[in-house]
Amino acid sequence: MAGREKTADGSIVICRCEDITLSEIRDLIAQGYHTIDEIKRVSRAGMGPCQGRTCRQLIARELAAALGVPIEQVEMPTFRPPSRPVLLSTIARGEADE
Amino acid sequence: MYSHFAQGREDSGRPLGRLRPNVVRLKDHPILEFPTGREVEFTFNGKEIEGIEGEPIAAALHAAGVRILRHSPKLGRARGFFCAIGTCSSCLMTVDGVPNVRVCTEPLKQGMVVETQEGHGHLPID
Amino acid sequence: MREVDIAVVGAGPAGLAATLACGESGAATLLVDYMDAPGGQLIKQTHKFFGSERQFAGTRGIQIPAIFMDRLSKMPNVALMWGANASGYYADSGVLTLEDGSKFVKVKAKRVIIATGAAEKPLAFENNDLPGVYGAGAVQTLMNVHGVKPGDRVLMVGSGNIGLIVSYQLIQAGVEVVALVEAAGCIGGYLVHAAKLRRAGVPILTSHTVVRALGEETVRGAVVAQVDQSWQVIPGSEREVACDVICLAVGLTPLVDMMWQAGCEMKYVPALGGHVPVRDENMRASNPAVYVAGDSGGVEEASSAMISGEIAGISAATSLGFEVKEADARLSRLKADLTAIRSGPTGEKICAGIKCATVCGGEW
Repeated sequence: MAGREKTADGSIVICRCEDITLSEIRDLIAQGYHTIDEIKRVSRAGMGPCQGRTCRQLIARELAAALGVPIEQVEMPTFRPPSRPVLLSTIARGEADE
Repeated sequence: MYSHFAQGREDSGRPLGRLRPNVVRLKDHPILEFPTGREVEFTFNGKEIEGIEGEPIAAALHAAGVRILRHSPKLGRARGFFCAIGTCSSCLMTVDGVPNVRVCTEPLKQGMVVETQEGHGHLPID
Repeated sequence: MREVDIAVVGAGPAGLAATLACGESGAATLLVDYMDAPGGQLIKQTHKFFGSERQFAGTRGIQIPAIFMDRLSKMPNVALMWGANASGYYADSGVLTLEDGSKFVKVKAKRVIIATGAAEKPLAFENNDLPGVYGAGAVQTLMNVHGVKPGDRVLMVGSGNIGLIVSYQLIQAGVEVVALVEAAGCIGGYLVHAAKLRRAGVPILTSHTVVRALGEETVRGAVVAQVDQSWQVIPGSEREVACDVICLAVGLTPLVDMMWQAGCEMKYVPALGGHVPVRDENMRASNPAVYVAGDSGGVEEASSAMISGEIAGISAATSLGFEVKEADARLSRLKADLTAIRSGPTGEKICAGIKCATVCGGEW
């Protein structure tokens, strides 16, 4: 391609919400964080607005590869409501009809 | 239907700084007929753009050639939309001063003030 | 607190079909969706459906929501809530929490049918977060719903039916598809779709994948490379391709957050897209108050979604004692329809996946 322009640095982004890259995830696994939950708690991956919808599977795949287990053996984190962000004012305002 | 977009308008007499839309609105689709709505004006980072009332802000921006919607909080990386259906949260922008608006599903209204969100944005203090 | 007999979450083809069945039984039914209008993925589907008349063969997806709404809107026992996001289900109390605009609404439902569909799978490659990297659904939405070209030159990643169909729709909209890459050694979708692309001059590169998106702040090109049978990049095979959109059509994963919240037994089934709830032959999950329908039970297509939706609706209604005329006969016919749709070479994997996800013997 003509006129080679500056290009983004080649990072592989796993968690778009919290800006966590693949190399960070691999570092954490190497440091001994071996569940999605632990990785989430230490890095915030999966705690952003999409609640892990995008990154959870990619992290699971990395764990499966690093730990040498089939992906179905990777423990899923606990799922708690809400599954999408809710403004505090919405909850504080209370219920519509009570 | 969207012929004025296709031609661009040199003699429009519009204020300087208006983004001229690229030829991106589809006409003459073999199967689909796109709804015509009221044309409205809004601003993007201070520049005036036209869009169709009720379409997602992201679609109006895209039609005007705008694909960068925000810069991420930690690494400052440019982001656009990804899923366009309100689930992935890539498309968050500041609209009318309110941050973290999912512009891929938020309907466009006349006079909206849309800004590229830098990081987490700023909460409006009232 | 609002109380209903049956709450249906998601108004795509499965949810619409489930609600119709529940409505016909007389149950007090609530259908919610976070979008402003019903249809789910149907609103982008311009192609004509296959299958039998019961599954709207010959009708385009975009026409189907109106057909359902025509009947649902006339049922006094069916309530519809659009722009309402269901974000939680509390199994102990049977309460569904919704955000309706800025109001927080709790609904107590005796039965819940989860029909929340599926979401695009991401792909990890360098600069995968650049503006211009879009899911296939996003490209379809932009083109078919909003009438906006996604770009001028698209690199399509993935040769399943979605990748093939969206590529063809791009061409119909006047967009160039510079190439379609597929990491596996063979095309994943129906060859009839692939043939249309070949005739249109689109290079289909099997055993290839995208390794890097190029561009400073938006996509200006991509690097594709050949991969071996273990999906490893063959060094030296990298090539640059000029494009302004990289479209990811690498599969969907069922959206099952609420099933997990409800404590349902889940199973990882790759053929169905990921984790799905274990269910019986009538779409009931391990939690007896919860049913699943459509892609959230396993990624298939709209026709199967409408059938599983109807099965879930009939089952949920009859479990509460509502009368559904000829329920048994209808269920048998619906299950036979599903078997027919799932027959054929591509259906084999789905069948095996469904069997994996169905409780032994088909009953709890």
